[in-house]
Amino acid sequence: MATYAFLLDLARCIGCQACVVACKTGNELPLGTKYITISERTQGTFPNLQGGFQNHRCYHCTDASCVAVCPTGALFKEDGLTRMDRAKCSGCTYCVDACPFGVPVMVDGISTKCDACTAVVKAGGQPWCVKTCPSHALMYGERDQILAEAQARVESIKARYPNAQVYGEKEAGGLGVVVVLPDSPEVVDLPVDPQPKLLVTGWQKAVQPLTLGLTSLSVIVTGIAAVIARRNHMQELKTLHQAETAGSEKAGEE
Amino acid sequence: MARVELQITRRNFLKTAFAGGGGMALAGREIGRAVANGLTKLGTPPAWFHQGEIKTTYNYCDMCPWKCGIVVQTVGDRVRKIDGNPLDPKSRGMLCARGQGGVSFVYDPDRLRAPMVRTGERGAGKFQEITWNDAFDQIAEKLQAVAAQYGPESVAILGHTTGDFWFTDYFAQAWGTPNAGKPSATLCTSPRDEAALLTTGVAIGGHEPMDWDAMRCIVLMGSHIGEDTRNTVMQDFMNAWGNGAKVIVIDPRFSSAAAKADYWLPIKPGTDTALLLAWINVLIAENLYNREYVEQWTEGFEQLAAHVQEFTPEWAAAITELDPELIRTTARVIAEAAPAAAIMPGRHTTWYGNDTQRMRAAYIINTLAGAWGNEGGLYFNKSPYLEAYPHPPFAITGSAGGCSAEPGAETAELPAGPSGKIRADGARTKFLRGATAIQELIEPMITGEPYPIKALIVYGVNLLNSIPNPERTLEALKKLDLVVVIDVLPQEHVAWADYVLPEASYLERYDELSAVAYKTPFIQVREPAIAPMYDTKPGWWMARELGMRVGLEKYFAWETIEEYLNTRLMSIGSNLEKMHEAKGVVIQKGKPYLADFNGASPFGTPSGKIQLFSDELAVAKLGGLPEYEPTAEPPEGYFRLTYGRQPVHTFAKTQNTPVLNEITPENEVWINEDVANGLGIRHGDRVWLENEAGTRTGPVKVKSTQRIRPDLVFLAHGFGSVAPGLSRANGKGASDARLMSQYKLDPISGGAGMRINFVRLVKEA
Repeated sequence: MATYAFLLDLARCIGCQACVVACKTGNELPLGTKYITISERTQGTFPNLQGGFQNHRCYHCTDASCVAVCPTGALFKEDGLTRMDRAKCSGCTYCVDACPFGVPVMVDGISTKCDACTAVVKAGGQPWCVKTCPSHALMYGERDQILAEAQARVESIKARYPNAQVYGEKEAGGLGVVVVLPDSPEVVDLPVDPQPKLLVTGWQKAVQPLTLGLTSLSVIVTGIAAVIARRNHMQELKTLHQAETAGSEKAGEE
Repeated sequence: MARVELQITRRNFLKTAFAGGGGMALAGREIGRAVANGLTKLGTPPAWFHQGEIKTTYNYCDMCPWKCGIVVQTVGDRVRKIDGNPLDPKSRGMLCARGQGGVSFVYDPDRLRAPMVRTGERGAGKFQEITWNDAFDQIAEKLQAVAAQYGPESVAILGHTTGDFWFTDYFAQAWGTPNAGKPSATLCTSPRDEAALLTTGVAIGGHEPMDWDAMRCIVLMGSHIGEDTRNTVMQDFMNAWGNGAKVIVIDPRFSSAAAKADYWLPIKPGTDTALLLAWINVLIAENLYNREYVEQWTEGFEQLAAHVQEFTPEWAAAITELDPELIRTTARVIAEAAPAAAIMPGRHTTWYGNDTQRMRAAYIINTLAGAWGNEGGLYFNKSPYLEAYPHPPFAITGSAGGCSAEPGAETAELPAGPSGKIRADGARTKFLRGATAIQELIEPMITGEPYPIKALIVYGVNLLNSIPNPERTLEALKKLDLVVVIDVLPQEHVAWADYVLPEASYLERYDELSAVAYKTPFIQVREPAIAPMYDTKPGWWMARELGMRVGLEKYFAWETIEEYLNTRLMSIGSNLEKMHEAKGVVIQKGKPYLADFNGASPFGTPSGKIQLFSDELAVAKLGGLPEYEPTAEPPEGYFRLTYGRQPVHTFAKTQNTPVLNEITPENEVWINEDVANGLGIRHGDRVWLENEAGTRTGPVKVKSTQRIRPDLVFLAHGFGSVAPGLSRANGKGASDARLMSQYKLDPISGGAGMRINFVRLVKEA
């Protein structure tokens, strides 16, 4: 089955914020919440400057830490993207702590982040940010094609940006946002090797087995308890029945 | 309190969410919260496009005057989403942040809701509601009293944004006042427009005719694309960049566009003409100009060559503080790409008061490159064919100009109004030619010279945040007999109105057709997506109601706007229904290149040739060839105040729009980091800005950055409004307009050069 991905070309992004507002209006996000944050990046001193923008958003990791830690299934992988069923979110904030990119945020007690415009895409459209981007810094499509486009774009900008590179081909199992970087990842504060946080490994190695153990134990204990309870209950019923029967017999005698 | 509101809102949301499309009657302020609550308590509510039947209407955006074609999606009676119209030559399916924020603009709870009449002192902002009927009866009576005593010319009409046509152009000409002005002329494009008319005789038009697709070299002189977020221009610029066109950016600030440049020229402010003269020098001295083109299409080359002989890169380097080799190299880069190379005419060109000559120098370079009319250079705009609604001859021919108007022909004699008076802005005496100088209409309101202006109608112009020297404007406002303000929002100047007429926004009204001069001329229609909110009315309706009461019935012969529009559209074989079927836009064929003229000259100069040497300017003793004129230096302790755009706001119009305000609620003052350190000012500090006259604005956040030269500060325009009715924008940031206590009049175009003000930073006490 095809997996999908975004192309994010930071060499092209001109910081116009159109994607931010398109996302907010299309998804009708409440004031104070946004899924994309654009920030300026400048290196050097006047007049020897290089600069551009970081266009920060959910990177839709294949090995998604947020999905790994989500105890309710509110976060899940589908079509290569990290989607959300907000109704299932319990507000535990594990995903907020686990994300190596610092993406999910809590809004009124539930986690929220870019869900790759699931409803729009399923209705046959393009994600709102991609659809409006005036500098053609964004694309959406099958991941293979997006990756090929990213590689071609990197080649085409090497004359201007000798350190240009593709980010996200392999990182975190491969990102669902393939980034064309004009320079090294650090310049836009992206981790060179995004690793699931200790919490995630902790969760997978300790908490999950432990909870599984605990859950099994509780099931067993509950089961035993239920058996005992039922036995007691039946016994009580029996006693009661006998008492009632005896009583009515007595009454009948009167 | 907030809690109670929240709960009420939630109930409303539940009610409407389950009532289906027809029941979507949430007030604007409630929807954000309702959705938040929906997220919280209900899980994911169905996306808006699954909540009922979608009604699609076509429109052109009004979030800035650029007018991108848009597709508006409405569910029930609520507009949910605006996108670029894929068929529109300007938007091509995309939109900028401001265009995307249109829904939020329309549902801004701070909107003006009903017509009002002033009850307190003028400027005190005290009003009471009045019926539309009474408002127009009273306004009509007062206008006629002014006309009877002083003549109809004593009514000034100022307008801006996409509905200004009805007042600044149509009503003004029918009424008979030559004093109709737009900030888009002499506060913006006049120098570049007059320079073009004087040099090539071809108007630049609203849409700079850069032939982006085939361009090999782009020169931006102050144009900060990416911060100036005109949708089409961002698309074209980044596509050309992606195609490998060389980008040269002249800017004292490392702008978003400079960050994309192959060559950034951090020029000393005010010295651009010296750089341009040096480029001309190199192009001629190194024989890099298009000799054939120059011989065939120009006049005055010999004079030009002699004139620039001394303007070497070394001469310019001393003035501009640029490396002379960088000047040489960039001239060669332009020549190498020619004729697919051009200096972009830009928009806001009213800088230092000698701006028409600077733009002439730029156009001379475009000419030496052979750019006009050649592929990849500058194409010829063509206006679409579309007849006007038939009406009797107007009382006066208009000269409001502006980027949204059809270019009017300059006549030797200025047209006079019904009582024989010509423009009061000093055209032909204070400046040579061009559209009405809006800032020069303020003076006659105070002095009564050359004749008094006693009544003012303001449509969509933020008077106190666009016209320089706002203190003078306030003084003028106190002297008028009548001030009528038409707007959507309670902007700062609304407090100074006698009558406030709230307009229905662009999504709530039909409007004049938008006829765009372009490579492929096209016509856009504006269809209402929803009925006017509150007790608001469309501008066309107001202009007509007023016209009917002041004896102008013959100019307003149509009964309905649909009839007006259908009559005009009939001239292109269309009507409103067909325009809707055509998805809101009709595109015609243009004549972009020299080759399309079959050897005839497309140039509108008297000789049909490009005037490298301008006879008209020489005769007027204003310089047949451009010269570099130094501008005053900032005094010790002061910085030159420059200003410009930032991505999510338009002028002083959108700062209160909730979704845009959220992203950029206030501006920052940019200052060179080393200079700031020397002053003990840190990034993020708050300071007041004070000009030489002692006028202050702020406090404003400091952006201490390497991205700017040490001798200037920069502010994004449009912030710092003092308007209590704007709950989000009021008092946020600093107002560049307030600091413009002075300006220098361009003697050619009447443009107000505004980059001659100096400010110092005063730490917040």
